[in-house]
Amino acid sequence: MSVPADQLAQLGSAAAKPGRRLPNKYKLFLMALPFLAVTFIFYYLPIYGWIYAFYDYIPGIPLEKTPFVGFKWFRTIAENPTQTAEVVRVMKNTVAMSGLGIATSFLPVVFAILLTEIKTGWYRRIVQTLTTIPNFISWILVYSVAFTLFSVDNGLVNTLLLKLGFIDDGINFLANNRNVWLAMIAWYWWKSLGWGAILYLAAITGIDQELYEAAEVDGASRFRKIWHITVPGIMPTFFVLLLLSIGNFVNNGMEQYFAFQNAMNKDTIEVLDLYVYNIAFSNNFAFATVVSMLKSIISVFLLFLANGMSKWVRKESII
Amino acid sequence: MKSRKLRAGDAAFHTINYAFFGLFTLTCIFPFYYLFINTISANDLSTMGYITFYPRGIHFDNYVSVLKIKGLGHAAFVSLYRTVVGTLLTVGASAFLGYLFTKNEMWGRKIMYRAVVVTLYFSAGMIPWYSTMHMLHLTNNYLAYILPTIIAPFNIILVKTFIEAVPPSLEESAALDGAGYLRIFGSIIFPLITPILATITIFSAVNQWNSFIDTAWLMTDKKYYTLQYLLWRYLNESSSLAALIKSAQNLGAVDVRNMQTPTSVRMTVTMIVVFPILLVYPFFQRYFVKGIMIGAVKG
Amino acid sequence: MRFKKLTSLALAAILAVAVTACSSSKNEESKNSPPASASPSSGGSGASASASPEGGLDHTKELELTVFSTTANYAGEQTGWYGKILKDKFNIKLNIIASNLDGGQNKIAAMMASGDLGDIVVFGSDKTDYPNAIKGGLLLDWTKDGLLDKYGKYIVDNFPKAIEKAKIAFGGGQAVYGLGHNVAGNQPGPSEGKDLTWGPELRWDLYKQLGYPEIRTPQDYLGVLKKMQELEPKNEQGKKTYAFSLWSDWDGNYKMTLAKQFANMYGYDENGATLLYVAADEDKYYEFLSDDSWYMKSLKLYFDANQMGLVDPDSLTQKFDDVVGKYKDGRLLFSWFPWLGSANYNTPDRTAVGKGFATVPFKEEKVYSWGFNQYGNDWIMAIGAKAKEPERIMEFINWLYTPEGAMLSSGGGTAIQNGPKGLTWDLDKDGKPFVTDFGWQAFADQKGTIVPDEYGGGTFYDGQSQINFSNVAPGLTNPETGEPYDHNLWTSSLKRNPSQLDQEWRDKMGALTPKEYFVKNNMIAVAPQGFTGKPPLMMDKALEQKNAQIGTVIQQYSWKMIFAKDEAQYDKYKQEMMDKVKGLGYDEVLAFSVKKAEELFESRKSVQQ
Repeated sequence: MSVPADQLAQLGSAAAKPGRRLPNKYKLFLMALPFLAVTFIFYYLPIYGWIYAFYDYIPGIPLEKTPFVGFKWFRTIAENPTQTAEVVRVMKNTVAMSGLGIATSFLPVVFAILLTEIKTGWYRRIVQTLTTIPNFISWILVYSVAFTLFSVDNGLVNTLLLKLGFIDDGINFLANNRNVWLAMIAWYWWKSLGWGAILYLAAITGIDQELYEAAEVDGASRFRKIWHITVPGIMPTFFVLLLLSIGNFVNNGMEQYFAFQNAMNKDTIEVLDLYVYNIAFSNNFAFATVVSMLKSIISVFLLFLANGMSKWVRKESII
Repeated sequence: MKSRKLRAGDAAFHTINYAFFGLFTLTCIFPFYYLFINTISANDLSTMGYITFYPRGIHFDNYVSVLKIKGLGHAAFVSLYRTVVGTLLTVGASAFLGYLFTKNEMWGRKIMYRAVVVTLYFSAGMIPWYSTMHMLHLTNNYLAYILPTIIAPFNIILVKTFIEAVPPSLEESAALDGAGYLRIFGSIIFPLITPILATITIFSAVNQWNSFIDTAWLMTDKKYYTLQYLLWRYLNESSSLAALIKSAQNLGAVDVRNMQTPTSVRMTVTMIVVFPILLVYPFFQRYFVKGIMIGAVKG
Repeated sequence: MRFKKLTSLALAAILAVAVTACSSSKNEESKNSPPASASPSSGGSGASASASPEGGLDHTKELELTVFSTTANYAGEQTGWYGKILKDKFNIKLNIIASNLDGGQNKIAAMMASGDLGDIVVFGSDKTDYPNAIKGGLLLDWTKDGLLDKYGKYIVDNFPKAIEKAKIAFGGGQAVYGLGHNVAGNQPGPSEGKDLTWGPELRWDLYKQLGYPEIRTPQDYLGVLKKMQELEPKNEQGKKTYAFSLWSDWDGNYKMTLAKQFANMYGYDENGATLLYVAADEDKYYEFLSDDSWYMKSLKLYFDANQMGLVDPDSLTQKFDDVVGKYKDGRLLFSWFPWLGSANYNTPDRTAVGKGFATVPFKEEKVYSWGFNQYGNDWIMAIGAKAKEPERIMEFINWLYTPEGAMLSSGGGTAIQNGPKGLTWDLDKDGKPFVTDFGWQAFADQKGTIVPDEYGGGTFYDGQSQINFSNVAPGLTNPETGEPYDHNLWTSSLKRNPSQLDQEWRDKMGALTPKEYFVKNNMIAVAPQGFTGKPPLMMDKALEQKNAQIGTVIQQYSWKMIFAKDEAQYDKYKQEMMDKVKGLGYDEVLAFSVKKAEELFESRKSVQQ
């Protein structure tokens, strides 16, 4: 601990009276250094734990007393044909959910643009505040609301449909294997649209007002202004977020799918994170490490792949 | 003729737009309202599913028992502390680092920026993280709430992207006047990026306010407990009894009279968590309302 | 200039870390130095002299113990009546860390990784964490320095088998690292309370209206239930009634939780998370996926019930809470467990008019029951390797096994504890225990009953022992009173004013309690609880993983089969399930399961009755 503290002390004084002779490129570097030290300590140091992937690791027992097992845990992922088929099924769901998520990632952009078109201040503020609420309701509670709405017996929707005479028997909306992906993405956006739009609202606010004023003078229509000023103005933010979500392709999280899973929809709802949770429980730390290690590597690979594509297509690297 | 058509189209657009947001907002409030009326209705009626549109058998016991949790006041203070201090530091650090990373002339910029960004995708697992924190003596220590959150890669990326959209001419003219990086950052960049700073302030504050798992792992002394942690633990108390019954080998001795339903507790806790956020959030909205006049800054 | 402030802030923060790093390492040093008061002095003049049978321990200094419990449901300081008793008697204060409230297995892992499990450690299983903690050197050997012999006299004299198991199974033949829960003497018969774990129960009032039709096999329930449903198709609020309402959120553990109950009622139970069901009182087993297994027969039974409209259509998607609500609401007619049906439906108002759930066994029933276990069951109480003053801890643990300690908190965990003597219960002139009026009130409304200040104050509920560990079996006979420790089993409690429902049931069945009925009619299979004299067989992690995967497949298909449209689809799902589990390594797990069953049979030889 004392070494970085020393260095930092020097840096502190360097920053306090910027040395005139220090070339800019180093000056900038030194300014960033303390922060990089923090990054190293809290993000890179714990990575030593990846070594557990190669041991039959048990917390509390020192590593030197633990058998080294090489790639044993990596091999368990595709040990037999049935297992491989399971992993393929799970990856299909993962790709589907992430793919749908990316394909619909323009929704918060639309939401933000349309929201800024509302000129009644109080109405806009109310909408903006209240639409963020679902973000704070845990998936477990979202599910219990969904159950109230969609259960077969006494669910609101079924009761209504029965009363109106559209159906004779209750429909089990929550326990069927049809359109699970679409239903999941719909729930997802219902929960995160308002919250996700905040970033784009900020981006829109950052656009120079003079551009709009100039367009006004030219007599541009609402849609022309949106298309030629607003959209280009928030594109950088959109692309950055898109890139980051490509990096997150294999990380769907599990809470949503866990809350909604049941025997009937499990085949299509089980994404990677949920699958790992379902089979590994929480006490196999070696296997859990293997999974998180592989996921980290895949994510970083995808991130740079997407960045490379962006460089190639848009002549612009994002990170 | 043309202008009337335009106005009609405009009116149609506005009607649809207003109606859409009205409806969507309703779908967002209903679950919240539903949860709320269930927390203040008789718990039995709630578990049986009789509370859908209006409360019945109104009582506030669910809230009273939360308020009775020991050490709630102190924990709320700790939460407030970590939210305010943690947010200030991370927003400051993100703004500054985001700015530095826009400087092409910086030595090792690309590598360092990427090194920060990829941490978004690393997870070493809980045990190594815990051991690291333990090694740094960040257990039973307020700094554990603050230090690791200073660097928030996502925020840094957002700030950097935002600054890059600012016309470079602004900065160049200032640089010609002989202003250093710090002066430029303080007097030109900082005022321009308030919208994104407001955004990351909201994100970080909500994160800080809502986190509890670090407390669960790192803190054993109750003076470090946060509000969220106490609420989370309170929630676990109601669900772990059910888990115990599930796992007990000899179920003959089980007494279910002890059992609270976790659902009612969970709903109550959600209410308590969301209310402060709903109260504070509107204060930040003014940063989203006015667009920026770059000309004004320039002048 | 804002920047300057920022850097200096960041800098200060980082420096502060370094400073605290130094200072807290100093703290640790002082912590590791031996406690000054560890030397046993024979003062004995403290307020608690009577509490130390060996007379060798000084209680004048308050001892604060950290209890790390993986079963506790409360975290923080032990308060209330139990807290007061501990303070008066031993001058100790308990500070409880409950992993269940702190993230479960992850919290346990963090505690293990930190190398310090506190002073007293409670494990909810002897399977993984406990042996790992021993391997990691995190637990104290009770035989070191004669700790157990000196301060654990009562245990040594009365529960030698439990110590023997601790030594052989986990201590390499020598050391004692902990003892199991619900330890008993060599007492025959079922160890349960007045109810057994399984019923089944039916809505007694409806069953009575049908004229108590005879039920021979589980399948016979379906016809009876159908008629009951016709008698009461809707509850008072006009909602539909069903016989079975299933829930899936308890399925985490290997198979469909609700498909094993009939096997239990035939005297079989699963042997851990393995592929076999093992008989309670014979050395027999069957594969639970075989056609004559009651797991598979139960799936068929639910399938048939679903075809008859007896199964709640929301079974697939609802949670346990919802089912509890439905029992309360009078929408269900059948219950597998006494603690589910009667506990939720039978309110005083209902039982007074003869309405409610009561046990209705089938003729062939031979319900599985756990015998008393002289070796102790699989929860473990241990002492941490870094414990301060192990002598006083040992003395306290010893007391938990004595009649005095057991009368207070036996059953802790899932049952209501007896509470302090003189307040909630007392002894009559013949020395027989009875529950006081205050006691009945406290047991019925634990959170609403305030305990007088001289007994420690607070509510009865909060004042219970929060360690959640039952050291001796609640059904064990207290040598001082000649009655069991559990207040529900005292003669005075059993005879206490029965409701109309109880009375009707007793008249019809000719027994006071379900347990009595099952025993009298020889419809019970008591599983002797023994021990092989060898360390337990354990699945290695890789096999465990395969097993877990097989478990999730079985779970999913079990549900699909029950809700299949017709027989053809039922058979198709069944075939798919078999193919999948075979592909995932079924045979390998089966081989292990057989070994595990043989181990169990061997262990039973140790308690030939």
